[in-house]
Amino acid sequence: MVQQLPALLIIVPLLTALVVAMASWISPRLCLPLTFSGLALSLAASIGVLMEVIAHGPVTYTMGGWNAPMGIVYVIDYLSSPILVVITSVAILNLISARKSVEESFPGKTGAFYSLYILFTTGMIGIVATGDAFNLYVLLEIAALTGYSLIGLGNDRAPLASLNYLFIGTIGASFYLLGVGYLYIATGTLNMADLARFMPQMADNSMVLFAFIICMTGLFIKMALFPMHGWLPNAYSFSSTAATGVIAPLTTKVMIYAMIRVGLYVFTPAYIFNTLHMSKAIVWVAIAAIVMGSLLALAQKSLLKMLTYIIVAEVGYMVGGFFLGNRMGITGATLHIINDAAMTLCLFMAAGAISYKLKDDSFASMKGLFRKMPVTMIGFGAGALAVIGIPPTCGFFSKWYLITGGMEAGQYGFVAALLFSSLVNAVLFFRIFEIAHFEPFADPHDHHHHGHSETVNEAPLSMVVPLLVVAAALIVLGIYSGDIVTKIIQSAIPAGIV
Amino acid sequence: MKITGLVTVIICGALLIFYAMDFPDFGDGTSPASTYLSPYFIEHTIEDANVPNIVTTVLADYRGYDTMYETTVVFTAGLACFFLLRRKESQNPPARFYRHTPTGITLRIEEGGKLPAEGSKVFMRIDSLWAPDSLIIKNTCRLVIAFIQLFALYVVAHGHHSPGGGFQGGVLLGSSIILFAISNDLRRSIKRFNEKTSAILGALGVLLYAGTGFLCLLLGAHFLNYKALAPIFRSTAAMARSHGILCVEIGVAFAVMAVMIWIYYNLSSAGKHDEGL
Repeated sequence: MVQQLPALLIIVPLLTALVVAMASWISPRLCLPLTFSGLALSLAASIGVLMEVIAHGPVTYTMGGWNAPMGIVYVIDYLSSPILVVITSVAILNLISARKSVEESFPGKTGAFYSLYILFTTGMIGIVATGDAFNLYVLLEIAALTGYSLIGLGNDRAPLASLNYLFIGTIGASFYLLGVGYLYIATGTLNMADLARFMPQMADNSMVLFAFIICMTGLFIKMALFPMHGWLPNAYSFSSTAATGVIAPLTTKVMIYAMIRVGLYVFTPAYIFNTLHMSKAIVWVAIAAIVMGSLLALAQKSLLKMLTYIIVAEVGYMVGGFFLGNRMGITGATLHIINDAAMTLCLFMAAGAISYKLKDDSFASMKGLFRKMPVTMIGFGAGALAVIGIPPTCGFFSKWYLITGGMEAGQYGFVAALLFSSLVNAVLFFRIFEIAHFEPFADPHDHHHHGHSETVNEAPLSMVVPLLVVAAALIVLGIYSGDIVTKIIQSAIPAGIV
Repeated sequence: MKITGLVTVIICGALLIFYAMDFPDFGDGTSPASTYLSPYFIEHTIEDANVPNIVTTVLADYRGYDTMYETTVVFTAGLACFFLLRRKESQNPPARFYRHTPTGITLRIEEGGKLPAEGSKVFMRIDSLWAPDSLIIKNTCRLVIAFIQLFALYVVAHGHHSPGGGFQGGVLLGSSIILFAISNDLRRSIKRFNEKTSAILGALGVLLYAGTGFLCLLLGAHFLNYKALAPIFRSTAAMARSHGILCVEIGVAFAVMAVMIWIYYNLSSAGKHDEGL
């Protein structure tokens, strides 16, 4: 049983997605319970694999019984196992929270929504679990295709935003595929470990150089690194919060995971940090991403738009941290994948609950919200503190590692950008707190300020409870971040990196 | 903005061509791609899976796991089209059009007028004032469709020996139904092969693929290791792989066929499922 866990982790949701797609035509009532149980089993499997990895080291699984490099293998190691738990937990928490709004937003299509939702999660799991460079692309396709369609239904402008995302995202994925093609021509293999074995003798092969450039560019586009972030803000703010609740925390983070995976375990640290002289330049791009993301967030007038620009800045944190090329920086980037997924989930869930109640997410509509939706605002506040980076929330710790990494590498520009962004985040969120706490609630339908608009009108329990769970997780992740780093992430980074 | 785009495209293109100059020559027998893994596949296909067509073995066995997800991509595309396009609300137009088949006259019946019986052979519902009706096209397609479907089954079954397999056979099967929908009209096609069938069959096709793999897992081997099916097929391990490949190819054929039809229904009628093109 234990040795089958890496397969069950992804096959169970895949089968569930297919069964849900069929059930939606036969007995639509079954869709939600099926979706829930499929994702719950996957969560259990991912936790099982994480335990196994911590206890006995990395797990490999050969698909079809063919060993690498002939067949496709799954390698779940210290780097991928925590991310897998993050993906499955985000998917299941957001499912609970989104239930109400799915039923409202997609009447008659809830089955299709759930099926696409699970397929999206399946794609994300596969990208993280695979040890094959081409298999990663195939799962990327599934995650992207389901992402486009989930984003495509929302307000009037969602289809156009989704189409934009589709064009840009397809270019990004094709770039990655081209890079894999170049690697295959140069080496004759697609297995990641096997590719890494060839790397030392490929140091001055121009095909590998180009493969690196184009793979990374493709992934940068997919993760919306500034200045290739154009697709993200509209796609994430115009679509339904049920969909963005899972897409926003996962897509960019999993793409950053893919960058770290491909960087460390395909091209190898020796190649990208020593042979090539690009990492400094990429750190500067990341600095630009952090600064511009923060400034653009400052210019927004609605909650979701602001959150999307914060994501753009956070992508800069992780890309910069990774390309610092030292142990502290990469630790910070990896830890931040986990933390940022949790923070983004928390904020998007809160935003989802707010826009479910208010049908609007502009700052002006948030007046008096602390009195109207106190519990949601507590959750939102926890997410905000984590993004700003206030201890004991998790955001502080990953930022600490990133800043230390920047100091060690002598990249003071990166350190300054991180501090600047934290300050901007503080301004952003305290501005919202001020509106929501001190300004009286204005009912958009009632301009005479009657007393009843001041009463508590909290979001449904199915939204509030998962939100509080995530808010608590932000603090738990913060408290245990030392353990996460020493027990898991330190072993994920190759020994050569100091 | 246009100029920035153009410059980016030109730079990308130039880089691609520049780095492509280091590629090995076409058909170079000493390039890494042909010396590293290919010899294994060429030498062991028969012994491993008893399939003469090496491409089929690589596709459905050695890298069958990728192909399962490619099939899932096809299914996802169908589901996405349904999710984005389908409009369920009934859009009853104020007037309906009927063609009186023997004379070819089109009748316009206002709301509240007496409509012909549902299964009437004489009156056919159409959606616009002018819908072409060609005896030649209808009958030619009627003749051809059966042969297309027969050939499709051959392509699916013969993938082990010649070019073909589930994807190609599925496309042929799907296009035969689409041809019917084009030569007659969408409404008739939906009556024979309805949306529910295509949606369920699409999922069932992928389920057949993933289910075959899962059965292997339940029988104690790794996922998609068809060798585990040997006791069920009462055959050797190599033959079990060969049969396993056939099972998944059939699943692919179902999925591709049904999804093609489903996508056609949704695209050609903009999600309304009326007369279509």
